[in-house]
Formats: sequence, C-alpha cells, structure tokens
Amino acid sequence: MIEEQSARSAGEQSQATDPLDRIFYPRSIAVLGVTATAGTVPNDIFLNILTSSYQGVLYPVAPGKRSIGAVRAYRYVSDVEGDVDLAVIVFPASVVDKALEQCGRKGVSGAIIISAGFREVGPEGVRREQRLKDICKEYGIALIGPNCLGVINTDPKVLLNASFARKMPARGRIAFLSQSGALCTAVLDYARGKQIGFSKFVSFGNKAGVTEIELLDYLHRDPQTDVILLYLEELRDGRALIEAARRITRGERAKPILAIKSGRTPQGAYAAASHTGSLASEDAVCDAVFREAGIVRVASIEELFNTGILLAYQPMPRGDRLAIVTNAGGPGVMATDAAVSVGLKMAQFAPETTVQLKASLPAAANIKNPVDVIGDARADRYLCALQAVLGDGGVDQVLVILTPQSMTDIEEIARAICRIHHQTAKPIACSFMGASDVMVGVDVLQAAHIPHYILPEWACRAMADVQRIRRWREAAGDCVTEFPADKAAVEAVMRDAGEGYLQEDEALAVLEAYGLPVPRHKLCRSADEAAQFARSIGFPIALRVVSPDIIHKYDVKGVALNLTSAHAVHEAYAEMMRHIGRVMPDAHLVGVMTRAMIPAGHEVILGAKRDAVFGPVLMFGLGGLFVEILKDVTFALAPMGPVTADRMIREVKAYRLLEGARGMAAADLASIRECLCRLSQLVTDLDRIMELDINPLIVGPAGRGSGVADVRIRLGPSL
Amino acid sequence: MDKDEIHQRVVKVVCDVLNVDPGMVEMESNFIFDLGAESTQSVQLVAAFEEEFGIEMDNESALGVQTVGGAVDFIAQCVK
Repeated sequence: MIEEQSARSAGEQSQATDPLDRIFYPRSIAVLGVTATAGTVPNDIFLNILTSSYQGVLYPVAPGKRSIGAVRAYRYVSDVEGDVDLAVIVFPASVVDKALEQCGRKGVSGAIIISAGFREVGPEGVRREQRLKDICKEYGIALIGPNCLGVINTDPKVLLNASFARKMPARGRIAFLSQSGALCTAVLDYARGKQIGFSKFVSFGNKAGVTEIELLDYLHRDPQTDVILLYLEELRDGRALIEAARRITRGERAKPILAIKSGRTPQGAYAAASHTGSLASEDAVCDAVFREAGIVRVASIEELFNTGILLAYQPMPRGDRLAIVTNAGGPGVMATDAAVSVGLKMAQFAPETTVQLKASLPAAANIKNPVDVIGDARADRYLCALQAVLGDGGVDQVLVILTPQSMTDIEEIARAICRIHHQTAKPIACSFMGASDVMVGVDVLQAAHIPHYILPEWACRAMADVQRIRRWREAAGDCVTEFPADKAAVEAVMRDAGEGYLQEDEALAVLEAYGLPVPRHKLCRSADEAAQFARSIGFPIALRVVSPDIIHKYDVKGVALNLTSAHAVHEAYAEMMRHIGRVMPDAHLVGVMTRAMIPAGHEVILGAKRDAVFGPVLMFGLGGLFVEILKDVTFALAPMGPVTADRMIREVKAYRLLEGARGMAAADLASIRECLCRLSQLVTDLDRIMELDINPLIVGPAGRGSGVADVRIRLGPSL
Repeated sequence: MDKDEIHQRVVKVVCDVLNVDPGMVEMESNFIFDLGAESTQSVQLVAAFEEEFGIEMDNESALGVQTVGGAVDFIAQCVK
C-alpha cells in the first residue's frame, strides 16, 4: 500500500497569498466521505485527484475503510497528521455539517462541497445550508458549493481535478465559471472536441460561501487566465456583479467576460401595458446592465466558445474592418451579408493591395473584398491573397472561407494559414465549410489555436462580439452629475405618504424638487379657483382630476385639454365634476390639477423601476405606439451620467425621429439627457420609489426644452 | 426484549453489514459519518434489522435514523 500520494508541494510555488489560492493551489487535500464503490461520485472524485497528477498531498477520509485506491484512509480528517489546505466533501447532505465543522477545528481553510441536498431541495435544505454558512463564518473557511461539480486547475504547479468530470481538460487561457454542474461536464466534452483548453474550471453550485463575484475577481488576478466565461442561472447581488465586471473588463489588465444568463423571461412576461414595471422584465434589464458593465451576454454555449476562442487565441483587432478571402463566391457573399448585418465593416483595399492581388491571382478572381481566389485555388494562392490583405493598413481582421472542391488541398491550405498567422498581429478566423472532407484542415487549425467556425456567419457573430469588447474598452467612462435638489420639499411629501401611488400634485412636487421640467400648476378645489389660476398663468390650460380612486383619468373624462379662456376652464371643471359624480359617485375627489399646456413636440417616456436584483433601473423610449406596440425602450442602471443617457437615447430604434427625420424638427436631445440624469439622481436618492413613469415628457425642438405632461410614482412601504 | 439485548444485536448487525470492528460502534456513532455507510449499505442495514428482529419497519422513517442509539430506540418501538 502507498502510504500517501506524495509529491512536491504545489503551494510552495504559488506563494499562497491570495485567499482563494487555498482552493485553487492547495498543498494538501483531504477528500471526506470517499467510498470504495467504483463509479460513485465520492469514489470518482478521489480517483480524479489521484490520477490528475496532483502535485500536493492527498488524504482520503473514509470511515471504516483501511485504504482507498491503495492510499491509506483516515476515519476522520482530525486523524490526518499533516496540515490540510483544502477539504473536498462528498458525504451525503445529512452529515456534511459534521464534516465541515471537523475541518474547521482541524484548521482547514478551504472547502469544496460537492454534495447536493441543500437550498435546492426546500426548507430543510435551506436550514442545512445556513448551518454550513455559520460554520464557514466561525472558522473562516472559504467554501465552494454545495451542490457543485467541483474545481479544476490545469496550472502545472498544481494539476488539480477536484471534480467528477471524466477527464482533466487541456491547459488553456480560458476560465469557465458555472452555476450548473451538469452543464460543466457537457462543456468539458465540447471543449475537448474542439481542442479548447482551460486555465481554471469552477462549478460553484449554490454559492453558499465564495460567490461568482469573488471568483471573477480571483480570475482577474490570475495570470493564467485571459478570458472569463460565465454561466449564471440566478443573480443575487446584481450591483456587486456589475461593479466587479466594470473593474475587470476595463483598465490596464482588462479581461473580457462572456456570460450566459439563463432563465430568460418568457414572452408572456412582456405585458401589453406601457409602463416601466411591465417593460422592465428581469431579462431586459439584465441585457442592459450586462452591456453597461462590459459583459458580453451570449445566447448559447456555441456562441460562448465561438467568441471565447477568438478572444483567447487571437489579438484584439484595432478596428472593425474585415477582409474575407474565399474560394467560393456564394459563401463569400453570404459572409459579407452576415458581417455587415452584425455591424462589421467590409475593408476597402488600398491601391497597392489591389495591384498585389491582381498580380498573384488568376484573371477570373475577384480582387475586391470579399476576395475570391476561385474554386481551383490551392495553398499558394490562398497564401498570396492572405499576405496581400493582411499587409493592408485598412484591414483589421481576416476571415478565411474554404469549400472543399476536388482540387482543394485542404490540409496544406490550413498549414499555410498557420504559417501566416505567426507572421501577423491581426486576428484570423476560418470557416472550412463542411463536416467530413474539411476535418483534416480543421484539426490543423484547431491544434494551432486558429479559431474555426462551421459557418462563416458564426465567425462574423464572434467577431462582432469582439468589437463590442473593443469599443467598450475604448469608450469613455461615465461621470455622474450631482444636481441641486430640494430635499425638504421631497421630505414633506414622503413623510405622510403611504404605500401606493402618490397623488399627482405630490408626484409633481417630487419631480420639481429635482429640477425636472414641470409646467406651472396648482391643485384647485373649485371651478372659480381653477379659472382664476388659469388667468394668472395664461392659456392654454389643462385640467386633470386628482383622486386616489381614479387611476385612468381619461376613462372617466377626468382630463380636459387646450382650454383657452377662463370661461372654458370654469365650464370644463364643472362638467368634469358632474360626469365623475355620475359614473363614480363614491370616488373621493381631492380637486383638479390646473396647469399650463406644454407646446406640442416629440413625446417620450422616461421611467424608473427598483429591480430586485439590480436596484434602481431607468428606462427610456418614445411614447405612444413605439412603447405600447413595439416595446422600443432601453434601460440603464442608476446612478448614471450623460454618457449613458446619450447611449440610452441613441439606442432606441426610433432615434432617427428624434434627430428630425422626414422634415420634423430635431428634438431637444440635451433636455432629454438632462431629464434622464436628474431622474437617475431622484430614484437613487429616494429608495421608497418602486416605480416612476413620466409618460409623456413632451420634448420641444433643439434648445426649447421639454415638459412633464403626466407622471405616476408608486411608493413602497415607509421604513 | 430489553434495550441491552437490542443494542447488542444492533451492534452485531452493524458490524456484519458495514464490515467494521465492534470497537468502532458506539451509541452516538453516525452510520455515515462515523461508520462509513454508503447509500446502498443503509438500505441493507434496514433489511438486516428487519430480519434480525423479525419486524417490518417503515422504510422512509428507518432510513432517517442516523445513529446506532437511534436505531436501538426505533427497533425497541417496533418490537413492543
């Protein structure tokens, strides 16, 4: 029997200064709950560590067993003579707390709990998981899991496969973090098939201890990792994730984060109503805030790796200009369509490039972009074309397309691409189209880490994702502006307000306190008072009934617009009271909001919602059909500044209307931007606001400002 | 049948099924954490107790018993 699986100490080299190094670079590991039965998770985990050439010392803790896999077994972790850096716990859930507590007493400071049967199974599991958290807090244990696949670190200093994945993946520059354990095994198998390697691979399960945010920060520090891929099912602290992502994706040691956030809200969640609460579904908000944090959200595992390999194995392009070299016209045109549709630009070749292409390609070849080297092209012709386009200063990246024709020397062409790849600082992606004959070339490309895509469209999509990252890195950061606000006026409203909607006069007072453009107004309690106020501010005038019992004012004829005389105001007031008295005799009528009409202009909607995961979120869109039918709205996290506000305004599909399409005057965009920034400050300051809708804000021509035509504010309970 | 007898017979069954020394088996011993019972062995233990004591136990309740002492009490209730 082998006394212990002993090897040189991994941690000695890693200088375990990082708190999470105890998990990723342990000098010694105890696996608690190992069984002797082959083919079970507890047995496989132990054998996986043992056979992955782990560079530290391994201790199986298996009560009642003398040895596991010819390694001396211990009854308890406390029986292990030496120090233990990391405990991998595979006991059934009912006794995991006992094992973890024993680890704590032994001084073990890192743990991975593979076992399931915690928060995911209901109230009893929640209690069990809380017990684990308490133990970790008491003993200062960094915990991954429970309910996870485990951790893999391919760094030769440690070579750790503390997981029940079948095989140790190849070493690479991509880190993968996943909340789903089962997905991990599929991803590992997929990656192996495509010769993709990993730096770290972490399944974090229920994240009772170490969260995805701490793991992201760790991978940001990790010199072995260039690209981070993340699979998330549930977000608990959206704000913290966004802050971490902003740190990681920009700056000196920027690393891209690509993420799948599953659980996309079904279409049904997009209710017909046109207010922020229904438009700002979790998924829509998630899309917006991920983008603001520099996280590229992708829809599938395929896209995750399509983009991941481009980022990991190719240099960042300097721009978005693409050259395509193909031996088939059709796919070249399709790829061009795909490239343009995802926002890439087709490069315009310099005259000398064209001369070079003309000299080296047959007369029938297309020497413009996409370059068609035609069907009988062999490796030498591809090489000439690639040398020419890569040497052009107006080309930022190249896509090579190959279709397998009878004279196509596929493997040689792949090797030629590998050679030229070493001589250029520009990214190259390939699409050898097919699934059988082309594989001989695909293998060559993948072994050389040249990204290969079955379809050119996938390559274009991946290149477009890379462009998003490039633009994010180059974009200026935003700076939040602090406006003066009349906090006393807001406090006066909030003090007595209960849960639910504010009255219109109260809502307007809140907006006014934050400098939003509220027209002159007064809550009048008689027709005489309304007529007198109207005379004092001038005409035209709008009247709107104020009642806690009336939400939809138009339905009860509670709105009168464009009143051009004191007499008209008086009459409209009296008629409004008579009608509502008939149709809603029990409604409590507070009075009638009498206010100046806002001149006609572009109608936009500004909204805010307190999202359970991300906190205050702002929404912007054009009013009317654009919001009701087309859901043409954008989102951003508050607080935010003018750069983000500008992005929101430009992002709606109807933006061109605001710019002044078809003879219409351009809207006062500066005014919208300022309103969004003021609203951002308002909802950041006032955490009782659950939902706010300014619908519409009527925006005048450039330089003429805007006005709030209607507002609704819903408050949460007072604290 | 008194509890001492039940205890002795429980220890014997536990040692046979889990292949552990009698010295390891105490009243507080947890079948999984202290004696290394695997999931299939837990089911075998219930069957062996039923055979040893000529009783029928509710499987779900029986599998919820975690310690040797708990098993003694559970069986004592069944043989009454």
